[in-house]
Amino acid sequence: MAEVKLDHVRKVYDGTVVAVEDFHLTIKDGEFVVLVGPSGCGKSTTLRMVAGLEEISDGTISIGDRVVNDVLPKDRDIAMVFQNYALYPHMTVYKNMAFGLMLRKLPRDQIHTRVEQTAAMLGIEHLLKRRPKALSGGQRQRVALGRAIVREPKVFLFDEPLSNLDAKLRVTTRTEIKNLHQRLKTTTIYVTHDQEEAMTLGDRIVVMSEGKVQQVDTPLNIYRRPANRFVAAFLGSPPMNFIQGKLEESEGGLHFMDGQYIDLTLPGEMASRVASHKGKAVTLGFRPTAMSETAEGKFAGPGNSLTLQTSVVEPLGERIDVSCTSSTGGHLVARIEARDDFPVGDRVTFHLDMSHVHLFADGEFGPNLVHPSA
Amino acid sequence: MKSRRALLIALAFLLPNLIGFLVFTFGPILYSLWISLTDWALTRQNDFNEEPVNFIGVENYQRLLVGDESVLFWDYFWNTVFLMLGIPIGIAGSLVLAMMLSTRTTPRRLSRRISLSTLILVVTILASFGTWVVTNPGPRPTDSAEVLSSEEGLGTLTEWQVDRMRSNGTVLLVATLGGMAFMGIAAGSVFFRTVYYLPSLLAGVAMYLLWKALFRPRGGLINAMLGPPLEWLQSAVESTPPWLWYALGITIAGIAALLCLSMVLTGVRKLASGESGITAFVGRLGVVVTLLATGAGLGYTTVQLPAQALLPNGVSNLTADDIASVVLEMGGEAGVSGELLASLAGQIQPDVTPEDAIAQLAPAVTLDTESRLREVVYSRTSATKIGYTAGEGLSPPEWLISSRWAKTAIVIMGVWLGIGGSNMLLYLAGLSNIPPELYEAAAIDGASGWSRFINVTWPQLAPTTFFIVIMSTIGGLQGGFEQAMVMTEGKADTITLTYYLYNVAFEDEFQLGLASAIAWIMFAMIFVMTALNFRVGSQMVND
Amino acid sequence: MGNANTSPGRREGPLLIAGRIALFVVALVVGLSFFVPFMWQVLMSISEVADVDLLTKTVTPPEANWENYPRVFNHEQIEFGRYFFNSFFVAGWVTIIQVITCSMAAYAFSRLQWPGRDKVFLGYLGTLMVPGVVLMVPTYAIVRYMGMFNDYTGLIIPVSFTAYGTFLLRQFMLTIPTSLDEAASIDGAGHWRIYSQIILPLARPGIIVMAIFAFLFNYNAFFWPLIIVKDENLRTLPIGLLAFNTSYGQETPLIMAASLMAMIPPVIIFLVLQKYLVKGIQLGAVKG
Repeated sequence: MAEVKLDHVRKVYDGTVVAVEDFHLTIKDGEFVVLVGPSGCGKSTTLRMVAGLEEISDGTISIGDRVVNDVLPKDRDIAMVFQNYALYPHMTVYKNMAFGLMLRKLPRDQIHTRVEQTAAMLGIEHLLKRRPKALSGGQRQRVALGRAIVREPKVFLFDEPLSNLDAKLRVTTRTEIKNLHQRLKTTTIYVTHDQEEAMTLGDRIVVMSEGKVQQVDTPLNIYRRPANRFVAAFLGSPPMNFIQGKLEESEGGLHFMDGQYIDLTLPGEMASRVASHKGKAVTLGFRPTAMSETAEGKFAGPGNSLTLQTSVVEPLGERIDVSCTSSTGGHLVARIEARDDFPVGDRVTFHLDMSHVHLFADGEFGPNLVHPSA
Repeated sequence: MKSRRALLIALAFLLPNLIGFLVFTFGPILYSLWISLTDWALTRQNDFNEEPVNFIGVENYQRLLVGDESVLFWDYFWNTVFLMLGIPIGIAGSLVLAMMLSTRTTPRRLSRRISLSTLILVVTILASFGTWVVTNPGPRPTDSAEVLSSEEGLGTLTEWQVDRMRSNGTVLLVATLGGMAFMGIAAGSVFFRTVYYLPSLLAGVAMYLLWKALFRPRGGLINAMLGPPLEWLQSAVESTPPWLWYALGITIAGIAALLCLSMVLTGVRKLASGESGITAFVGRLGVVVTLLATGAGLGYTTVQLPAQALLPNGVSNLTADDIASVVLEMGGEAGVSGELLASLAGQIQPDVTPEDAIAQLAPAVTLDTESRLREVVYSRTSATKIGYTAGEGLSPPEWLISSRWAKTAIVIMGVWLGIGGSNMLLYLAGLSNIPPELYEAAAIDGASGWSRFINVTWPQLAPTTFFIVIMSTIGGLQGGFEQAMVMTEGKADTITLTYYLYNVAFEDEFQLGLASAIAWIMFAMIFVMTALNFRVGSQMVND
Repeated sequence: MGNANTSPGRREGPLLIAGRIALFVVALVVGLSFFVPFMWQVLMSISEVADVDLLTKTVTPPEANWENYPRVFNHEQIEFGRYFFNSFFVAGWVTIIQVITCSMAAYAFSRLQWPGRDKVFLGYLGTLMVPGVVLMVPTYAIVRYMGMFNDYTGLIIPVSFTAYGTFLLRQFMLTIPTSLDEAASIDGAGHWRIYSQIILPLARPGIIVMAIFAFLFNYNAFFWPLIIVKDENLRTLPIGLLAFNTSYGQETPLIMAASLMAMIPPVIIFLVLQKYLVKGIQLGAVKG
């Protein structure tokens, strides 16, 4: 059990290509942290630096009280689960799990009990004599987990461990990993490109893009208060709707206008926060669930309606997803209560829950103006 | 710091191999280049006789290419090229065998395969037994009743013995054939692949000794099999007027030429119209060249048939005196003692074959003189005859003994050895890598047979062919040494460049400098040929 | 293998079956033409000297005479058994040294990152282009200089460090996922352990292929032993067979018996390890 501290860590390849820029984070003892981001964002590189598989160009990484920059992977007391599981094909499952313990010169009987216990915990006792080739994808995944757990390391590292599984198995294994973590309480760093996995697993999520940390927070905080437009777009499914426009002052209040037909009145508190951006180009963001056909409850007006051209309806059961086009050509999705006679192809007026609307400064990484990060 | 540590670890793993590599591969290459620029000969400069090794620049190269060694060098070079003629035939053969093996010939279902192979096994056993019952001559007759065989050459055996030997042989052949059929059904193409591969696996001195025995002019298996067809041809030629054969030969060559012309024209038209690419064109050209060569050869041989079949015994127009005079003339040339040769030549009995005469003289003359002597003797016999055995008319060749046939014999053996070897395995792998969808698409487009081969199979195999051609030319240019050493001891004009290098460096004078120059010239040739292959090949592969 | 589906989805009509039978017969005849010379070799080896020439007329000898086989070994001057031993000894040692040194070098080239790696490897690759004959003269001079001439060391050491073996194994090792090394290094393995316990077992098919190539090549090697060995006791099989032929030129049955026995070890190796060898030949080319 240990705290992992990344102190202004940087990774540069060939002296020019920056893979990770100023990664600064302290992972508490027993915490489950997920690094998430699109491919090439530097999340795997960060994990591999913690593991000792990549050299650190700048900054320090410490596990517990020890700076591990120059410590070999085998001496860092970590365990890692790889995307392709990396099970040794020529060893039985038992041997795969025992290999690390044998290298640490544990007594034979102790190795035996630990492997047996771990196997029982994961429900793979019956597979111990088999070779990886004879296992299904899900079974291999469990063995890879077992190999990591049996070592009782200070830190678990997961590198996209679920991406080779089919969708259904991915969900159940996800739950299982969460369960295991709650039992073992081992510090865990988990890398994935799947935002749903990140949301469901992490105590905290680190959203990365282009080598930079975009936001670090609990899943719900990130969902509710994305730090910038990138984070807002990356997390949540279907993704957040965005409309480009301008903040204009008129009729005594601050309005968001796209220059064509959309004109939304910002609520008082929000208006005061973004007042300094008056007259500037901004992006309006709201989740598909913040839309409704009826202006009731939190969707009550005034000045919160927008009319969109609908094109496709995708029924989901309780709700339907409606694909729409805004007057400026933007593509939006509304998730609303299901009804059979939705007028597909018509222009429909939707009402927004203005308390869940975000405004971002211009640009891909434009910061959230409504919920500025500390 | 880190990278130095990485270097040290890497060196620890690398060093055992690297030292050996530097001392026995990389170093020698540079060393060789230097040696080739010196006059180093172990007979002059060695541990006991410490003359200095002189740097002589490119003199060795000059001697080989245009100077005093050039006659031998180019002679041996052309010998090497001759042996390489077997390469295209072998590659084509490998492709044909691979295509044959990659087609399923046995039933798909296991149960049917088992029942079929059992059936064949039963049939084989019955047939072998039946053959034995039918052909076996019964119990040995009592001594008084034994009759000596009247057949020529079998004088010492009784008729009963000959019958029994033939009976055994027939049973053996039937059993072998049946056994192979059984294995072919039971194990499928894997069995045939194994049998085809065996010769190339065993290529080496032992195999060459076997072929030396097979090639024996009398008593060898090959000439025994050539005998009957040649006899038939002989009688056919004798009983028909010569003009018929001239006409036949010209017709064969003419048809081949017309066929080739039309194929070339079609190919050019298709290439120009973009209907088929350069790969298909090269493949078509290969077929054309083969067809043309076959047609021309067949036509020429046919035209020559009457002259050869009706020619008297090859020996009779050359007397012992003729040979003696040649010997004297040659002896003078080669600097061998004329008197010794004269006395030897005087001892040659009249009516011996040229080969026997040469064999009698061989101990007294050098290898070179002997092979030149052989050529002169043959040129005065009847240069156009197919064979030189003592029989009349058309007779099978004296394979490894005559300069005219020895290289052909080595080529034939080379094709037999290589045709089912690694090239076939490579083609098999190449064929199995062709996506079946391509054939399906071609079938939908209406292609079948030849057009399927030329448009799908051949282009898809282009990288494999490219690799095989490069490796074969590299091997071919260095080849021929072992075969010639074992089968002809360098006689009968079979010395290749590698053999030449061996002679220069490790036989008479140990001229390491000159030998290294030979090696580097060979390297240069290989380099040029590989570069050429790459030029043509990359175009084909990218096509 | 090799059942490439060249006629997909077609029903087996009588015409197709007839074609298959015809093809099978052709394959059989070709097979026979590869097999008959070996059969003839056996027949010659069990004949009396005087009867060898009769075989073309009678196929089998009057009596099977198996005496030629022991006779090969029981000769005062030519120790055929010794040649056998020498060939196995030399080919065996070359194979062992090659497997060890080439696999270690291949590990350094395929799994380790170190400055200058690609340049050194290019040097290895470059020498693959150089024909073997170029090496004969200088290596001969070096071997003489090092005092290994006419000695087992001269037969073994110079041919034990091939660039080809290193190249082949490197190609093979590149197909092993690097995450296995990483997993092992996290598990606590150092480089030597990763090499010996992870990479080496996983590269086994490649190593077997290389070992077969090395053994067969050196078992059949002719040129190098021919120039390096003068002592009769050091002769390997090919050289011994040649000497045998020169002294027994007329005794075809004896020579056939000797050469047949020399062919047996490669055949056994091939039949047992065929699967690896066929794959290896194809791998060497595809990656080459």
